[in-house]
Amino acid sequence: MEEELEQKYKSITRSVPRVDSEPKVSGALKFITDMKIENMLFAAVVRSVHAHARILSIDTREAEKISGVKAILTYKDIPGLNAYGAIVPDAPVLAYDRVRYYGEPVALIAADTEELAREAASLVKIEYDPLPVIRSIDESIASSAIALHDNGNIARHTIIKRGDTERAKQEAYLTLDRTYRTPFQKHMFLEPEGGVAYIDESGIINVFAGGQSPYRDKLQIARSLNIPPEKIRTVDYPTGGAFGGKDDVTVQIHLALLAYKTGKPVKLWFSREESGVAGYHRTGSEIHLITSVDKEGGLLSNEAQIYLDTGAYQSFGPTILDVSIETINGPYRIPNYTINANLVYTNNGFSSAFRGFGAPESNFAIESMINELAAELHLDPIDIRLKNILMTGEEGPFGNTVRHSDGLREALMRAKRSKIWAGALQNKKPWQRNGVGIAVAIKGVGFGTLPDYPTAAIEIATEGKVKIMFSNVDYGQGINTGNAQLVAEKLDIPLNQVEVRHADTKYSPDTGSSSASRSTFTSGNALLMACSKALDRLKMEACLYFGTTNEKLEYKEGRFYYKDKSASIYELAKGLKARGETLRFESTFEVPRYPAPIEGTLEVPHVVYMYGTMLSSALLDELTGKVHINQVEFYADIGTVINPSIASGQIEGGIVQGLGFAITEDLKYDASGKPINNNYTTYIVPSVRDVPDIYVEFIDSSEELGPYGAKGVGEISIIPAGASAAHAVYNASGKWVRDLPLLPWKLI
Amino acid sequence: MNYSQYTVHSPQTLNEALGILKEKQSEVRLIAGGTDVMVLIKDGVLKEKELLNLSYLDELKYIREDGNIIKVGALTTYRELEKSSVVNLSAPILVDACKTIGATQIQNLGTLAGNLGNASPAGDSLPPLYVLNANVKLQSAESERIIPVSEFFLGPRKTKRAPNELITEITIEKAKPGLHYFFKKLGLREANAISLVSVACIVDLDKDKKINSIKLALGAVAPTVMRAVKSEKLATGRQLDLNLIDEIARGVSEEISPITDIRGSTEYRRRAAYGLVYEGLYEALMGTAKRVSGGIEGVY
Ligand SMILES: Cc1cc2nc3c(=O)[nH]c(=O)nc-3n(C[C@H](O)[C@H](O)[C@H](O)COP(=O)(O)OP(=O)(O)OC[C@H]3O[C@@H](n4cnc5c(N)ncnc54)[C@H](O)[C@@H]3O)c2cc1C
Repeated sequence: MEEELEQKYKSITRSVPRVDSEPKVSGALKFITDMKIENMLFAAVVRSVHAHARILSIDTREAEKISGVKAILTYKDIPGLNAYGAIVPDAPVLAYDRVRYYGEPVALIAADTEELAREAASLVKIEYDPLPVIRSIDESIASSAIALHDNGNIARHTIIKRGDTERAKQEAYLTLDRTYRTPFQKHMFLEPEGGVAYIDESGIINVFAGGQSPYRDKLQIARSLNIPPEKIRTVDYPTGGAFGGKDDVTVQIHLALLAYKTGKPVKLWFSREESGVAGYHRTGSEIHLITSVDKEGGLLSNEAQIYLDTGAYQSFGPTILDVSIETINGPYRIPNYTINANLVYTNNGFSSAFRGFGAPESNFAIESMINELAAELHLDPIDIRLKNILMTGEEGPFGNTVRHSDGLREALMRAKRSKIWAGALQNKKPWQRNGVGIAVAIKGVGFGTLPDYPTAAIEIATEGKVKIMFSNVDYGQGINTGNAQLVAEKLDIPLNQVEVRHADTKYSPDTGSSSASRSTFTSGNALLMACSKALDRLKMEACLYFGTTNEKLEYKEGRFYYKDKSASIYELAKGLKARGETLRFESTFEVPRYPAPIEGTLEVPHVVYMYGTMLSSALLDELTGKVHINQVEFYADIGTVINPSIASGQIEGGIVQGLGFAITEDLKYDASGKPINNNYTTYIVPSVRDVPDIYVEFIDSSEELGPYGAKGVGEISIIPAGASAAHAVYNASGKWVRDLPLLPWKLI
Repeated sequence: MNYSQYTVHSPQTLNEALGILKEKQSEVRLIAGGTDVMVLIKDGVLKEKELLNLSYLDELKYIREDGNIIKVGALTTYRELEKSSVVNLSAPILVDACKTIGATQIQNLGTLAGNLGNASPAGDSLPPLYVLNANVKLQSAESERIIPVSEFFLGPRKTKRAPNELITEITIEKAKPGLHYFFKKLGLREANAISLVSVACIVDLDKDKKINSIKLALGAVAPTVMRAVKSEKLATGRQLDLNLIDEIARGVSEEISPITDIRGSTEYRRRAAYGLVYEGLYEALMGTAKRVSGGIEGVY
């Protein structure tokens, strides 16, 4: 297959090195938080030491006495809206009457040095009146619970129904009733939240900060500073990891505010521990399923009660809840279902986007349920899935028409033939138990029914380069390289003639965020359109140049040919330039979507879905309870693979991050609502020595709506890791663990 | 991080170091590899404002054989121990433990004296030192004394070291060729993990698997690393079989007094200690445990 593709394409489907690998590997590259500007001030954030309290007073007088302190800002200093949040702006930029999580920002300091800033921060006296701390979903929804917000403790509640689950249950051969829980997960990017802001000669506030969504950040900054968005520039490259934790605003508004108030460059950079308490985390989940099947394992109904813990504020919570709704039926044909979904406030920090965005939470529930049903019915877990997965062209659970599910079927067939599915491990010690687990995953690409009009641009530079511009941030996932390959392919030029202008609102049009596995699909399509536009225009220029008409021209390898003459796109661009015409071509792609979401949702369903199938082999030490996943096989249907090595890297990285979620990562809050484990010593992410042997296979598939048939890849592999690992552990131990992670004391 | 608030003394000789220590006593904090001290500084919990940097004291970087004894200079790093042929031949249990400490970077910097000075009950080099009958040499400007490692610790972060003293050398007894040994560490991940429980064991089995002698030391299960003396006594002279393994492992799990913390509960640590002891002794019984080679290649 690969050979065929190699003949078909010149730049894509090839594992070319990343366009930015050399400076990253050599260390020459400076990350944003490495930036230093002359006369730069350093910022520190005064944070709440209570998880829930009323603020009685804020006294900054002692802090003001420190010489070298240039600004102390509180809520009173915010010119515009004192709130932010990607979907619902319910989080104060600086707390005013109340704090709702430990570490919530109350005041900002800018000073000549970092030490002075931190010292001044420690001198700001805040008088609190502590309020009861809500530590769990149960406590939050209890009738006696104190209300965390004006709208109560349930930020969003919705019910979606199809068919008649009651009748289905009565007719069912077997109904299982189970509760599944997943913990908060921290992103633990290597570069904590941070950045630099300054005002340039033209009065623009430049905000360089690690992020994922330059334009949304810009709007949120403008709204709080009460200045027009044109007065703000955001630059997000190079960001040292994000995983969703930088999708909403982190430091951007605070930085802009400090630069605005002091008129000086300012740097704000969280310490690891600060990121641990004040940074976002994945929603915690509690999902109750009542699922019915017939004797042959055909799914009849699914009743789901979903509770997601969004912490103190919503951020992306409402849409995360939507994805959890959309994935709670898996890729299955389920004629009857009821989904009762709730987004719940607590004082457990602050939840936001995290790779998978509600899908890993739901997937752990539904895929564990399918495995439990298979076990009860003595069915092969692959067979029960093959029986229930939707076929291409069928109507999906949310009224959508299923496109391309054949990749999932093929993946399951291959999984069935795989070595690890067939064979138990040899040479085990008497206390070692081995088991293999499976889970499949489905995830929509992009924002579902929400309108999405990504714009991208290319510029034919006369010096022999094509510059490409889009706002999706390359925070390590490789979008800059993938997009360069797409453009090289389309323009039929060598890859080294493509130059990526990284995410910067000064140059990049608004392509939206790097999130929802959407970047290749959205910016890729928009770039291909811009390329077509450029070629159309250059063809006319070629006609002028050769003195002929369109039909007679041929285009190949960056040149237009006419009889024995030819001209490169760069030569032709010179002609355009000489007449003062633009060499920049911009296009907007209309992301295909259903016209409206189904009732009770915000963005369900999607048109395009990725699929993944994950086999895990667990080695369990029965005497210590320790689990090691020693082998993983992953079959991915992500459409055309633009760069196999980068795509495999995404799959592998997602698996490892997913296994951390499955086995050791367990963010906990103490009785007062303070996070207990906030650094690499106490919050246990896998080390390289924990990484299993991973085998990744891409299913041959092509999505006509995507650029050269590509869908997306970023999130698919993290999603099934929890259920796949738990199933492997069940097969090793006979125990179903329904609350992740699979810590050793749960297994002896 | 602002390091300029610390005054750093960097003596070039041991005498110079001892002189500074005599003068400053507890005002100064000793720093060797710094893999513990730097964490304290970063967390803002280091009391001392002065540091006595030991890293130039080349005279304390050595591994020497002296008859039945191996002398290890206090500033010897884990990596140096791992590479040493005499340690590999006659105290391989220490090598196994060093390889589990942190990860490569930590092993390159961390020193044996630092692990002793830090006095964490979870220090991973310590259980092997207990079963190797290690002695700790403490030197001051005026005098020197030698304390068995099993008497050196008073509790978590507490040792018998006087403020004017420096650990200058650790001596270990060579283990006899042919002895079975194991070091097992249970952490939540495979690198950079703090031990939930660790076990070091050297056992002398005769041809018929009778236990001539056994030494068992455990980490992270009591205020200091401890020898499981009762279980050792119970085992000595008896025939090693599955029943005895179970009895010993149970004995050990009862003899220890672990605490509950965020890494694990008392109950879990007892069960895990049982597991590690069981697994190690099982391997000894089956002949799959490692054995001390003592330099006689090909014999074992
Ligand atoms: C990421 C990471 C992972 C780690 N993993 C492990 C692990 O798996 N297992 C483990 O046991 N430890 C681990 N540690 C802790 C640490 O590496 C060890 O305790 C190491 O042995 C300390 O040695 P050092 O030379 O760096 O000591 P330093 O930090 O320099 O000193 C440690 C203590 O010993 C004192 N000290 C140093 N030298 C002397 C001397 N000559 N005489 C008297 N006192 C002295 C110091 O004053 C200080 O109190 C880890 C640390 C880190 C940062």
